[in-house]
Amino acid sequence: MNKNALADTKREVVCHQDDLQPGQMLEYTFGRHPVVVCRAEDGRFFAFLNRCIHQGAPLSKGKLCGATAPTSNIGEYRFEKEGDILRCPWHGREFDIKNSGCMLAQPKYKLKSFKVTVEDEHVVIYR
Amino acid sequence: MAVTSYQAEQKSNQKKLNLIDTDIHERVMYEDLLAYLDQPYRRYITDCHWLQEKHMPYTQPAVAGVDRADAIVPDGRPAGSDLSFMQEQLLDACGHQAGILTGALDPSPSSMHGWYEMATALATAYNDWQIENWLEKDERLYGSVHIAAQDPQAAVREIERVGSHPKMVQVLLPIDDIMWGDPYYHPIFEAAQRHDLMIGMHHNEPPVYYGKWPRYFIEWHTLIPTAHMNQVTNMVFNGVFEKFEGLKLMMIEGGFTYVPFLMRKMDQQYKDLRHEVPWVKRMPSDTIREHICFTTQPLEEMNKKTFLEVLDQMGTDDIVSFSTDYPHWDYDSPFEALPPNLDANLQRKLFYENALRFYPKLKGLAGGVSHE
Ligand code: FES
Repeated sequence: MNKNALADTKREVVCHQDDLQPGQMLEYTFGRHPVVVCRAEDGRFFAFLNRCIHQGAPLSKGKLCGATAPTSNIGEYRFEKEGDILRCPWHGREFDIKNSGCMLAQPKYKLKSFKVTVEDEHVVIYR
Repeated sequence: MAVTSYQAEQKSNQKKLNLIDTDIHERVMYEDLLAYLDQPYRRYITDCHWLQEKHMPYTQPAVAGVDRADAIVPDGRPAGSDLSFMQEQLLDACGHQAGILTGALDPSPSSMHGWYEMATALATAYNDWQIENWLEKDERLYGSVHIAAQDPQAAVREIERVGSHPKMVQVLLPIDDIMWGDPYYHPIFEAAQRHDLMIGMHHNEPPVYYGKWPRYFIEWHTLIPTAHMNQVTNMVFNGVFEKFEGLKLMMIEGGFTYVPFLMRKMDQQYKDLRHEVPWVKRMPSDTIREHICFTTQPLEEMNKKTFLEVLDQMGTDDIVSFSTDYPHWDYDSPFEALPPNLDANLQRKLFYENALRFYPKLKGLAGGVSHE
């Protein structure tokens, strides 16, 4: 394997930042890894392995949405974190993209994440 | 930019399985049924806007309602309504040897309250639609005979009409507010046995919580096994399996982890209360082991040790059969749902051999398939 090939697997330009609007996701293959890149409502980018930690569903087929906030009042619904919650397309587990991909119901479990930066208006992913 | 697709991902990463999937939900839309419905029933739908009344107050459990979000047909039609998409996403991707179709909740002829004639007509149309569009279009797919079981004589006529179709493998009964072990329904079991059909039971609406809906979906979904326990208890103590010695029952979509408890409870009760049901001549757990198989989905997450303990408490690993429940939201992946590193022999039983042993009409599959 030559040096450049190795370098390519560690840093890749995914797209122009305008290719992905807040609330959208895209699928990307990073080396051997399927990745889902998410853009939160505040414009920041996050990237995770595109396989749910439960049964491996492709997370990119789920939804970037909000979540009902924990409450002490039975019957109270308060919706929060709009656009920051990645919800799996199968069993609907909720992962907080801004909190390291932690699962809302059991935060000790989280998605595998990748570092993302914006360089010269491009979304760049690192491993 | 490379874009991955679910199917490509699954195909490249995962080894194909020998799999008989014992719960796949194909979906009909009323307009598809019209061509198979006789008059005047067709016009009740086209002219009079008949719809089967349904009540579920919470159809929002997951991202796309009760379906896997990625199972919605790409052109927007509902999940489960397109054979070629099902082939691509499920049968080809997982390498199914066989899949057993169990229908969707609507229309569900046996769940209709009243108007048995319409229910009977719907069952007939459904069976013809299923045979023509699914069973005869993909050799891997097998079917369920839909009946209007509230009218046992009409139900028997429908079993006589389509039960000998080579790809019909069971008669489907919904689990809702009817206890099917009652002798009133025994003609259905007699007809099923005569045609080498299993009875498949699948919950419908609303089987738990005293026949009503609990306040939240999470309660309803948690308690589905209780509805399955009702039916198993009812079938055994009403003597169905003493009367129909060749009859087999597939309990679909209630999981199996409740079974050890139920076996112990029924055996203990039988020792004390046998005098009330003298037509029951064996320990209930023995009857269950011989006559009833349980599909896996929805599987609770268990490690291997716990999983094996549950099987051990059932006294056999011959009566559990893998199911995906495709395309519903609580689908179980055959590659991911079971604990890892189960021994190969057990995997073969769960994925393949147990279903093969239970369904008389799947016997033909045995010859052509290597288990390696
Ligand atoms: S596979 Fe994601 S929640 Fe089950």
